[in-house]
Amino acid sequence: MTGDALNRFDSIAPTPPRTLWELFLGFLSIGARSFGGVLPAAHSIMVEKRRWLTPADFTEVCALCQILPGPNIGNAAIVLGKRWFGIRGAIVGFLGLFALPYLWVLTLAVLYTHWVARPLVSAVVTGAGAAGAGLFIATAMKLGRPIADKPAAVALIAGCFVLVAVARVSLVIVMPIALTVGILFSSRGKL
Amino acid sequence: MILIQLGLYFALLSLLTFGGLGPVIPEMQRYIVDVKGWTTPGDFMQLFAVAQTAPGPNVLVTSLIGYRVAGVAGSVVALLALCLPAAAIAWAVSGLWERFRESPWRCVIQRALAPLLVGLMFAAGYTIATPHAPDWRLWLIALVTAAGMLTTRLNSVWLLAGGAVLGGILL
Repeated sequence: MTGDALNRFDSIAPTPPRTLWELFLGFLSIGARSFGGVLPAAHSIMVEKRRWLTPADFTEVCALCQILPGPNIGNAAIVLGKRWFGIRGAIVGFLGLFALPYLWVLTLAVLYTHWVARPLVSAVVTGAGAAGAGLFIATAMKLGRPIADKPAAVALIAGCFVLVAVARVSLVIVMPIALTVGILFSSRGKL
Repeated sequence: MILIQLGLYFALLSLLTFGGLGPVIPEMQRYIVDVKGWTTPGDFMQLFAVAQTAPGPNVLVTSLIGYRVAGVAGSVVALLALCLPAAAIAWAVSGLWERFRESPWRCVIQRALAPLLVGLMFAAGYTIATPHAPDWRLWLIALVTAAGMLTTRLNSVWLLAGGAVLGGILL
């Protein structure tokens, strides 16, 4: 009794979606709301609004999806859909997530193809592209700061950059080599 | 034929995509522009920019590229090819996660991936901002935006809008 009451007090028990439709709508709104980053939208819908997951669950799913290949949030839709409804859930979650953003991007693609010949449109879009490049650089600096004091990490960062950006070697070659070297360093405590 | 090539390539890329789409952008550009010549470098950069302004996972840039290369069918094939192989792995692995979670290997792999992804993100920034010969105006926009992201808490949508305005003025 007391333990039960305490639990209810500490953290509200999660309420996973009960129907496929609910799952679909949840992922639909994650897809539609995620301007400038999917993770905040996913957190707000799944943890705060619909309470499908506890914050700890959410962190756990994110951690899993980050070390798997593929789009993280797409993987989350698969993993969670499977957990709640099996294969149908995985498919429905995935479709819900991508439905609206896909239509939006397709519309933009048609508009873009139509308008790109105008010099001002072209300049504005190119400017946004350069800004997007800046976001990558800032993200790299944020993620790199905590490991910048380790020589092995700096060597790997520089090596990947030079091989991929400057020498233009295929990632199909660079990734397995860099990952092997990274795991060697990391298992010896150098990363 | 082009649909099959597109599908196979993005399916391969699916297995190399860690930490979001950013780290594989240079590789995508290398294949689409340099190897296949399906778009120009400037066009690739603009498609990337258009995708950034859409809500949703940034993997949608693949549908834009697919659309440019092979129309609506191309947009579907590219997106599904990039997602499905990884989704199959996620499906298979999610059951094993409980056991793997406590494994020391999880930490080893996470630590090994971090510097790779940082290097590749720098490469993505450089590749996108340098479609042709180095252009100080594009680099300026990129650096101002990067500084904006590091020093303010603005939503990245506003930073992209700022870049668009600067582009309209400078380019």
